[in-house]
Amino acid sequence: MKHNLNIERDRELLLGLARNDDKALSTIYVENFPAVLRMVLQHKGSEDDAKDLFQEAMIVLYEKAQTSEFDLYSKLKTYLYAICRHLWLKKLQSGNWQLSLPQELEAVLPADNHMEDHDKKDEQFRIMEESMGSMGEPCKTILEDYYIRKLSMADIAEKFGYTNAENAKNQKYKCLMRLKKLFFDKYKL
Amino acid sequence: MNDTNLIRDIERYLEGDMNMQEKAAFEALCQSDPIVNEQLKAHQHITAQLESYGRRLALQEKMDHIHASLDMEMLRDAAAPAPARVISFRRRLMTNVAAAACIALVTSLTTIALIQRANRQKTTAQYEDVRRVLNNIQRSQNALINDINNKKKVPANPGTYGGTGFAITDNGYLVTNYHVVAGADSIYIQNTKGEAYKAISVFEDISSDLAILKITDSTFRSQPIPYSVKLQKALRGEKVFTLGYPRDEIVYGEGYISAQTGFNGDSAAYQVSIPVNPGNSGAPLMDAKGDIVGIVTGKQTTADGIAFAVKSAQLKRLLEEMPKEKMGKWNHKNRLENLTRVEQIKKLEDFVYMIKVYN
Repeated sequence: MKHNLNIERDRELLLGLARNDDKALSTIYVENFPAVLRMVLQHKGSEDDAKDLFQEAMIVLYEKAQTSEFDLYSKLKTYLYAICRHLWLKKLQSGNWQLSLPQELEAVLPADNHMEDHDKKDEQFRIMEESMGSMGEPCKTILEDYYIRKLSMADIAEKFGYTNAENAKNQKYKCLMRLKKLFFDKYKL
Repeated sequence: MNDTNLIRDIERYLEGDMNMQEKAAFEALCQSDPIVNEQLKAHQHITAQLESYGRRLALQEKMDHIHASLDMEMLRDAAAPAPARVISFRRRLMTNVAAAACIALVTSLTTIALIQRANRQKTTAQYEDVRRVLNNIQRSQNALINDINNKKKVPANPGTYGGTGFAITDNGYLVTNYHVVAGADSIYIQNTKGEAYKAISVFEDISSDLAILKITDSTFRSQPIPYSVKLQKALRGEKVFTLGYPRDEIVYGEGYISAQTGFNGDSAAYQVSIPVNPGNSGAPLMDAKGDIVGIVTGKQTTADGIAFAVKSAQLKRLLEEMPKEKMGKWNHKNRLENLTRVEQIKKLEDFVYMIKVYN
């Protein structure tokens, strides 16, 4: 019973995470970070390693939570811990300390097809981050304001001192075209 | 249609700004123009990417915020059980190692103790062996002395020797073994009453291991002798008895004639099965009637119950060889024949003497 209740609570938290509920995010973060920190410290990682690792795992979870087909079949803690182990293992393998791979981690590598998805998404994120980084102002902010912060074109026009929304729109289209070019140069559909 | 217009149319289409007519026209355009279609897909993708990029950035920002609010000190302490666990593991390891060391120590000490004990036992056994060897040496020395005795030689050891003798005449002549008195400086005899007299050896025969003593003390008063010397051979199985001084008191022993020859086939002696001990030498061997059939000379140390006695015929030969005038009559009438053994002994013991030899 208790186990089921925990699962129910975890599902609620996950739904909250998908809804961008700050409280759910905070709860998951605070409850699960210590275990991951302990694992990383045990395997000679730093606190920053633990933070990066855990946040990446949270992103995986977040991405998953937003897809409707995702169903939590184990405890959230177990799921996050497994992802962190997987990521940590990957990090160790990609590093030059392949030989000193901790036995405990070597033993079980969670067969997780979630991670392939995540890798793809992560790649796109990196490209997008890079592309956005190489966009100059005001393009970057206009695109962010419109597509991410969902501001109206009128507000954007006012913010950037365009005479009307139509001008702002044209500017935005130009920016988007540049972004498209930058992005698709590196990423093929 | 330039790119800007295309994007505008795509966006208007995607955002639902188009009226039915425009929408149908745009969809028709997409169907007919793959480039437009591709542009539409790319637009959809890039905007989706932008949104997820934004969400992720926002998430990371939020998480950083949450992370910053975490009490890292406390978490570090909570994670500290990691090193603490290492220490406790080390402690456990130490405990195990200590336990193993203790066991090893106990085992080795026990082993050492056992080995030492075994060694000590071995030493004891060796000591016993040595003692037994010494005993063997002693025994073989005894046997050697006996052999020497049987070969009628002088005992090598100086000191006091004891034997037995018995009266053969009424006037103070005694018979004993030669080996008892051999090499003697002085000889004393003592009867059962404790009266002691000085004696001298007057005749000795080494071959038969017999000696005749004479009591020289003038105080000696003899009694008539109640037994005779039997001249016939005693037969195998004939009951015999003896009186002697293996200790300070006269001791009775009885047995039977075992064989007609003595030690190493000596035809001058009998083999007798009778308890004899040092001091019995020279004791009379008597038959049921109380007549002398032999004189006890010795025993075989390597076997039990084997004693030897010189045949009375040897005594007769010896007595006949002796100068007659000195000695009195030695063949007396037996007066013990019809007496019980107890009565025979009672009469006999007065004529059996302990012989003490000093040299």
